[in-house]
Amino acid sequence: MQERGTTRLKWAFVGPTLLFLLAFNLFPLVWSIVLGFRNDELVGGDSRFVGSANYARVFADPRFAEAVRLTARFVGLAVLLELLVGFTLALALQRDFKGKSAVLTTLLIPMMLSPAVVGLFWNLILNGNYGILNQLLAAVGLPAPQWTTDRDWKFTSILLVDLWMWTPFMLLISLAALNAIPKSLYEAAEIDRAGTLTVFRRITLPMVAPLLGLAVLLRATDALKQFDLVMAITGPNDAKTQTLSTLLYQVVFRDGKVGLGASFACVVLVAVIAVATLFTRYMERLQERPS
Amino acid sequence: MRWLSRLLVGGYLLLATLPLVWMAVTSFKAKPDAISLHPRFVPIFTAPAEGADDAERSTFVATREAYAKLGEVQTGARASYFEHLGNSALIGLLSTLLSVALGTLAAYGFSRFEIAGSKDWLFFILSTRFLPALAVVVPVLIMYRELGLLGTHLGLVLLYTAFNLSLAVWLMKGFIDEIPRAFEEAALVDGYSRLQAFFRVILPQARTGMAVTAVFCLISAWNEYGFAMTLNSSGALTVPAYFAGLQGNLEGMPWPQVAAGALIFVAPIVLFTVLVRRHLLRGMTFGTIKQ
Repeated sequence: MQERGTTRLKWAFVGPTLLFLLAFNLFPLVWSIVLGFRNDELVGGDSRFVGSANYARVFADPRFAEAVRLTARFVGLAVLLELLVGFTLALALQRDFKGKSAVLTTLLIPMMLSPAVVGLFWNLILNGNYGILNQLLAAVGLPAPQWTTDRDWKFTSILLVDLWMWTPFMLLISLAALNAIPKSLYEAAEIDRAGTLTVFRRITLPMVAPLLGLAVLLRATDALKQFDLVMAITGPNDAKTQTLSTLLYQVVFRDGKVGLGASFACVVLVAVIAVATLFTRYMERLQERPS
Repeated sequence: MRWLSRLLVGGYLLLATLPLVWMAVTSFKAKPDAISLHPRFVPIFTAPAEGADDAERSTFVATREAYAKLGEVQTGARASYFEHLGNSALIGLLSTLLSVALGTLAAYGFSRFEIAGSKDWLFFILSTRFLPALAVVVPVLIMYRELGLLGTHLGLVLLYTAFNLSLAVWLMKGFIDEIPRAFEEAALVDGYSRLQAFFRVILPQARTGMAVTAVFCLISAWNEYGFAMTLNSSGALTVPAYFAGLQGNLEGMPWPQVAAGALIFVAPIVLFTVLVRRHLLRGMTFGTIKQ
């Protein structure tokens, strides 16, 4: 059903979006690459080509290596714990009961909220002296650390708030994955007298794996960018919680080193693109699957 | 098993909601009650008799003072909370309108026309979502400084539109793919032009999809923090950036006002989440999983 003038018409439909994205994503990206080879500063300073000097500094800077390690640890722990808790909850929520839809919607609310705004309020909850969390912990006789100021607990605090926000996401996808398993498979297993554990290992897990894979990739690409919660709870320049994004902020906006920041951003981008490519490939495969 | 499930779900329900409940409770306190060493969680409505002030008490006198103070300009800020809320609303609504409009056009184009490299274009569009804000913020900052868009509403509207287009295109494509082609073909046979068919046949059919897409775009613009903070020192400051700016001294933080402001800020999101609850899965996975 291709009529005359279609060529012009179809570009009229998709053109504005593509132009928009080229102007606001691709163009800044290319510019970033250029800036990475220059020594521009946020305010004043000279501006000239410095070759690979910025890159040499990025790789020599211990803060950078530390931020990579810390971000990797954060992504790994957050994704793993959220998946475990979310999937367990989904198993518990499989059975139908009255008010299930209301309960589910309530459980999902945290992931829709603003991490910057809610994270700021979490400071009050986590406060070592007058926070409600420590008051509750003390009431049941558990140790009550200085969550946001103790060097050994800061990272855990941010992880905890992230778990609170994003476990619902894993729950949502796990539940969809579980619901998509045909009942007939379970019935067949029952006829074969397969044990609960066998059914779980041989039917449930393989059937949910593709969707859980999607959930893990989506969450990982998001956790990799972790910025808002760190800014809200410990600020950009805390060695114990400095993720890639917050270090980048520190370098560009506090130290004013635009060129250095740009080269740093490019290095980070390569990592992000690697994960994102993995993700888009995965999506392509999922889409080609007959549903 | 059934009891274990209930215990698990019930326990998690408490964990998920308590921080928000505490936010609501705190918003009705006077500041000393918000940072008392002994938790105060029982609201009373008449002040206790003179001399009966007991540091160990669990009650606090409920007051609407925090909400009233939201209209005042805090020390160190340029405008009141409500003015920032207005910025958030204006920027969120305009960028949502623009993203849904452009996204729907592009989604229709990709859904109905043969476009060279359409798959690659679609994955390019998706990949823009994974770009960390901080990686492109420097070139955007320089570009905006040149164009005079720094600290303006328009600047953030354009940026959020670019940021949300990936979501809008992917979600809308899913919805438009579900509308049978026979509808337009019939219209074309009846002598409608392609554009007329789009506006009179497709758009009315795509209403639900557009509403759902709008909600997701609005939420992500509403919650955004990285760009809002780095591109604005004044002018069009949105609530997340304004709140983060208050963080300067955590001890002096006006907690009841923060709680009241945060509660007002998340309330519409909670409402929207309930409205689109049946489409959450779709929205959170860019339309990959449909239910």
